[in-house]
Amino acid sequence: MRRVAFAAIGFGLFLLAPHVLRDFQLFQLCLIAGTAVIVLGLVVVTGMAGQISLAQSAFVAVGSYGSAILADKCHIPLWAGIPVSAVGAAFVGFALGQITLRVAGHYLALATLAFTAIVQLILIHADDLTGGAAGMPVPAFAIGSLVFSKAGQLYYVIVPAAVTAFLIFANLLRSRFGRMLAAMRQSEIATASVGIDVLRCKALAFAASAFLGALGGGLLAPLTSYLDPAQFGVIEAISLLAMAVIGGMRSPIGAIFGSAIFILLPEALQHFQTYLGLIFALLLCVSIVARPDGLASLRLNLGRGR
Amino acid sequence: MHLAQIIISALTNGAVYGLIALGFVLIYKGTGVVNFGYGDQVMAGAYFALIPMTFFGVPYWPAVIIALLSSALLGMLIYGLFMWPLRNQSLLARIIATLAYGTALREFMRAFMGPNAWPFPFLLSPGAVAVDGVLVVPANLAIVGAALLVLSMLYLFLERTFVGKAILATCDNRLGASLIGVRVSHVFLSIWILASVLATIAGILVAPLLTLSPDMGLIGIKGFTAAVLGGFTSLPGAVVGGVVLGLLEALTGTYVSSTLKDVISYVVLFAIILVRPQGLLGPLLVKKV
Repeated sequence: MRRVAFAAIGFGLFLLAPHVLRDFQLFQLCLIAGTAVIVLGLVVVTGMAGQISLAQSAFVAVGSYGSAILADKCHIPLWAGIPVSAVGAAFVGFALGQITLRVAGHYLALATLAFTAIVQLILIHADDLTGGAAGMPVPAFAIGSLVFSKAGQLYYVIVPAAVTAFLIFANLLRSRFGRMLAAMRQSEIATASVGIDVLRCKALAFAASAFLGALGGGLLAPLTSYLDPAQFGVIEAISLLAMAVIGGMRSPIGAIFGSAIFILLPEALQHFQTYLGLIFALLLCVSIVARPDGLASLRLNLGRGR
Repeated sequence: MHLAQIIISALTNGAVYGLIALGFVLIYKGTGVVNFGYGDQVMAGAYFALIPMTFFGVPYWPAVIIALLSSALLGMLIYGLFMWPLRNQSLLARIIATLAYGTALREFMRAFMGPNAWPFPFLLSPGAVAVDGVLVVPANLAIVGAALLVLSMLYLFLERTFVGKAILATCDNRLGASLIGVRVSHVFLSIWILASVLATIAGILVAPLLTLSPDMGLIGIKGFTAAVLGGFTSLPGAVVGGVVLGLLEALTGTYVSSTLKDVISYVVLFAIILVRPQGLLGPLLVKKV
């Protein structure tokens, strides 16, 4: 019963928002939704499976560049291109997982770091496909003759897609798969000893995070309407990880919190623009020292109706 | 281009990578943490020297001493604020903590020193001198010299002094060292101070070659590659790894393509981790249950 009530309230708010909020606020809402999907990927792979990933911005690049290139070169509309590139990214993530997850901890962080750097350099040097260092414009999001170009219109695409992704993954994390990841995080050896294929499980978590990263990237691309390879580097990967840490890594809600803080903070602190990065970095420092293991003392039981 | 010329310039870059790798290896060996904030410490170290020189008119050498002292303090702070409180936490939390303080350093410099590049003075003249048909730059030679000097001083410190031996003992066996009366927390503190000072030396040497901006810390990735090449636990290996990486970069840049020059260090990092995580020189890794 509570679940139905929640869904009804949520749906009501969703329909109400465009009439109440200004266009810029809708833009921010879309930005939060898309970013939260990306950060959700990190919740799955780092928070749940305990595997550190600095490759998230590379997967975001796969999603946004992938869908834009498919539209540009193959005339596949974005509504089809985004899921296609997300699935493609999932395969890349699975393969990357299979080969890198044999090494754990710091080596994994290094390997994913190198992966991000390589992908960024490819974006810069593959001029024919990606427009090189200058970047490339993103074609408009259109379904048939219905064109979504402004934030107020894209809202009806991005927010429902993000909500769907969150519902699916929040359930997945409470399924057998989620429990396997949690078990693996606590003891790989014990998990393997009860017959779970740890490597495959980790690779699947990596694939899921790649899928979500690319999906979020694909959704954000028409919103920002231009892709610049500088947005997909190592520093951005660290920022995404920071959002996950600040929001709380053990629950999907944390991804929403983290992205909301990252996107709304600049507006709340308009007079301190110069110090924004520093403030966010200090927030990250405090979060990791104060909640090093849980990374989500914020235990919200939303949607866990009983 | 002349092969000797290529090797000379490769050696300079290699020495820089090796210097940075030394700090990684020291911290990894000693405390078991791969320090993702190290590149940013290198960057901050250069700023520590730049700030007294530019704003207070302090001459070069006193400014260097100020920088070394402030970086020692920074090392203490990092240990006290991050690494000591997190000493019993998961590796994941500690890795994220190094990323966190690195980001804080980078953003601190961006906020207070601006996002743009600063000019940084050379240790020796940057003008090239022709020796036997090969152009040699004294400033670059100084980097190679300094790297060798630092390596040998580090060697003497670790092998010939009491504190150094305590550090080596702790690197070898933490429990054993603490049983024979080594204060492990003091050793960790001295490792962080030492590595922080090394980062500043590297920063002061490379800042004139690169541009000193908050993003200079990305040079740290090259340092990682050098350290991984050398096996991540061997101090001489770090320097050898740096030189090998410098040569690889210069040779691909000259004979293959300049685009590939940027990619090669990441590809090497990736490949080594996958194929030979113990590095070129390291012993075989065995996972203990």
